[in-house]
Amino acid sequence: MAATAAPGGTPAADGALGDGVPYAVELRGITKRFPGVVANRDIELRVRRGEVHAIVGENGAGKSTLMKTLYGMHRPDEGTILLDGREATLRSPADAIAAGVGMVHQHFMLADNFTVLENIVLGSEPTRRGRLDRAEARRRILDISDRYALHLDPDVLVEDLGVGDRQRVEIAKVLYRGATTLILDEPTAVLVPQEVDELFGNLAELKREGLTVMFISHKLDEVRKVADSITVIRRGTTVGTADPRTTTARQLAELMVGSELPSPETRTSTVREAAVLQLSGVTVAALTGRPAVDDVALTVREGEVVGIAGVEGNGQAELVEAIMGLRPLAAGSVAFAGQDVSGWSTRARREGGIGFIPEDRHRQGMLLEAPLWENRILGHQTRPPAVKGPFIDRRSARSDTERIMREYDVRAPGPDTLAHALSGGNQQKLIIGREMSAAPRLLIAAHPTRGVDVGAQSAIWELLKDARAEGMGILLISADLDELIGLSDTLHVMLRGRLVATLDPAALTPEELGGHMTGAHDGSVGAA
Amino acid sequence: MTAIRRLGMSLAAPALAVLVALVITTLVILLIGQNPLTALQVLVDFGDTPSQQTQAIVVILNRAVPLFLAGLAVSVAFRMGLFNIGVEGQYRMATVIAAGVGAAVVLPAPLHVLLIVVVAMAVGALWAGIVAVLKVTRGVSEVISSIMLNFIALGTASFLLTGPLRGSEEGAAIITTKEISESGRFPALNGLFDVFGLAQPRGQLFGFLVVAVLVGIVVSVLLKRTRFGFDLRATGLSPSAATASGIDARRMVVKTMLISGAIAGLIGLPDLLGRTYSFGTEFTAGLGFLGIAVALLGRSSPLGIAFAALLFAFLDRGAVPLQFADIPASVVTIIQGTIVLSVVIANEVARQVTRRRAERHTGQAAPPTAEPTGPAGTRIDARQEAGA
Repeated sequence: MAATAAPGGTPAADGALGDGVPYAVELRGITKRFPGVVANRDIELRVRRGEVHAIVGENGAGKSTLMKTLYGMHRPDEGTILLDGREATLRSPADAIAAGVGMVHQHFMLADNFTVLENIVLGSEPTRRGRLDRAEARRRILDISDRYALHLDPDVLVEDLGVGDRQRVEIAKVLYRGATTLILDEPTAVLVPQEVDELFGNLAELKREGLTVMFISHKLDEVRKVADSITVIRRGTTVGTADPRTTTARQLAELMVGSELPSPETRTSTVREAAVLQLSGVTVAALTGRPAVDDVALTVREGEVVGIAGVEGNGQAELVEAIMGLRPLAAGSVAFAGQDVSGWSTRARREGGIGFIPEDRHRQGMLLEAPLWENRILGHQTRPPAVKGPFIDRRSARSDTERIMREYDVRAPGPDTLAHALSGGNQQKLIIGREMSAAPRLLIAAHPTRGVDVGAQSAIWELLKDARAEGMGILLISADLDELIGLSDTLHVMLRGRLVATLDPAALTPEELGGHMTGAHDGSVGAA
Repeated sequence: MTAIRRLGMSLAAPALAVLVALVITTLVILLIGQNPLTALQVLVDFGDTPSQQTQAIVVILNRAVPLFLAGLAVSVAFRMGLFNIGVEGQYRMATVIAAGVGAAVVLPAPLHVLLIVVVAMAVGALWAGIVAVLKVTRGVSEVISSIMLNFIALGTASFLLTGPLRGSEEGAAIITTKEISESGRFPALNGLFDVFGLAQPRGQLFGFLVVAVLVGIVVSVLLKRTRFGFDLRATGLSPSAATASGIDARRMVVKTMLISGAIAGLIGLPDLLGRTYSFGTEFTAGLGFLGIAVALLGRSSPLGIAFAALLFAFLDRGAVPLQFADIPASVVTIIQGTIVLSVVIANEVARQVTRRRAERHTGQAAPPTAEPTGPAGTRIDARQEAGA
């Protein structure tokens, strides 16, 4: 099992640094094959104790497979795993935990109706005379919370916690089991900017206490901010390491995709006169308290991208659903291409020419247990090429799915593949291809590049730009400030259900936009 | 995944379930001190003379037809994620009223039969429609309301039978509606035995078999090939995605329940039009509940349900001969029960295996299927476990 020379790194044959301190984690020549695919090939990875080590790569590059190998969820076909210089055989996550490796999953695995304390101890409960020893559990949790500044209250129900707090509970769970190496799988994907900063504060604490953190992400700016060293993975193998202090986000991204990188910038205006979407006084009631969307008025013209910025949970989701006819209006009207469509059904609106890229593709965009060609039909059941009269036209639905897969670079074995077998980026490309294929006059794009890798992200940006140039009106809701500033012709800021500011993206920095989003510019406090 | 392998997967689960059920039943028969081999012999022994053998086949087919219709009725709702537990009540209401109407009029033969069929379907659909309306207007779970409506249906059917629709003599042991005249009866298919050169059985093969096969084909085409079927299945797979795609979930609930109920209305007709010619206290009961088991075993696909119905009917035929061999007829019920239980487990295992295989195929981990979290305007509360 000879270690191959690490590209971009110095091969250390004995698994140790020059001064004799072994690496916390060292992977040598890891190869993992799945039938028909090599997910990981000759992976070389060296992580020093007490550092934050970022692993970046496109979706489907093999990061998750690698982390699963390290967490014992499957065994590598070739290669060696060394933990603190000793060869480790990890047959299950239990082995990994025993060896001090813990994993914080992207999708939280917490029981909502349990308290923080119960969630943390679940599965390794301290007992006294056969009963849960709450005092001991509380002591240990508070100890962890203090040591790493996690600010946990053991007695709160998890369902009452925000996303950032839940993540800290997940981290505490791992620490409680004695992990010294933490794997965080895209931890910032679910966080708003303020929470990201808090998370980075926590990571610094972990590092200060001598723990090792492996951090998976595609957000390169964040990676550069938080990591001590970076390993880049492309097409299943490690292509190099980088020093975040001397590498720009652009250089990193180019290493990741292996080519020059586009930007979201669009500066020549293609805005035409005719309005495709006009909202006036749109109000959507919330279950309790003030309305989720409060008296919103805006116009999207042909060839115009109108961006909506805002911290998540300020009514953007409700606004989108109101425009699509998925939520009743409490007041106001929605006009599409000069016609009042407030009373139209969702199907009528879609048939009329409104395309929809939903924010949560698993919940609203796909049938995960259906093949791709059926997903191609979804939302377009009443239009060719999917249907012939009352019947489904399977053959043309299949061949059109193949066309979308080709033109939009959806990587999948074929139109009969089930949707849940695809990576998030490929699912998103299929959705975008499907919506674009109907040539809508108005596209409601909610977080179109969320959870999508850099390559797919730039492809999606290009598609939106082309569509805009051809006269499509686009309403863009996003949490990616660069995307908003780069693509939008007009930018509105949404706060607590209201549009509180209209900004010119040409003369705006992400920092200023961030200020507006939290309400710092008009003196009020941001709602998260 | 190739089509052949997928087919293999979908056959493996029920086959495994039947096997497990046989093992458990064998243990049960051993426990009560009988010989399982004898029981098996009795089950497959169709008699000595050719006439007895064809008679056994007739008994099985005649039992399978209503079971198949019941399974279909349940499965249509299943595919959309709705549990129509009310099939039992729907077919009882439909049969008693159809029997009453059929006995009250005399029409030329095809029209008379057609009228009875239409009345039965309409009553079944209306009875199921109550469930749908309660669900979309008041958010009442279809499980609760359809079970409740079963009780009301049984009570109402008894009332109709003993009151306005009573046809039998005052004081008779068995109360029935009036007999449907000759023109309202469905001709038997016994001619088929001559065509195939088989011995004529004692009994009559239900002509309604033809109707059942037609209904099966129509349902199959409807679900698989039509836009409506796509909408229905999409709603079953993900109510939130279906709504976002423009499917009106409420309207789908109503339409699906109406179709399910209309099919349920047909369940009693093979017996009514082919043997008893009247509804009475002795009329076959429990078909609606058996339909749930048949639909589960058949994995909600019309072809699978046909096999499941034949299997159940085959087992049911054995109930009487088993008693002659001193083995309790409940053995049949035990086999059926364990088959359904094992099939539910096997289906879930097969689903996981398929899923994992799909993931491995692309080397991609799919995140756990997210339960819908946010309340969408018209989201219905149907879960999707039943579908698949």
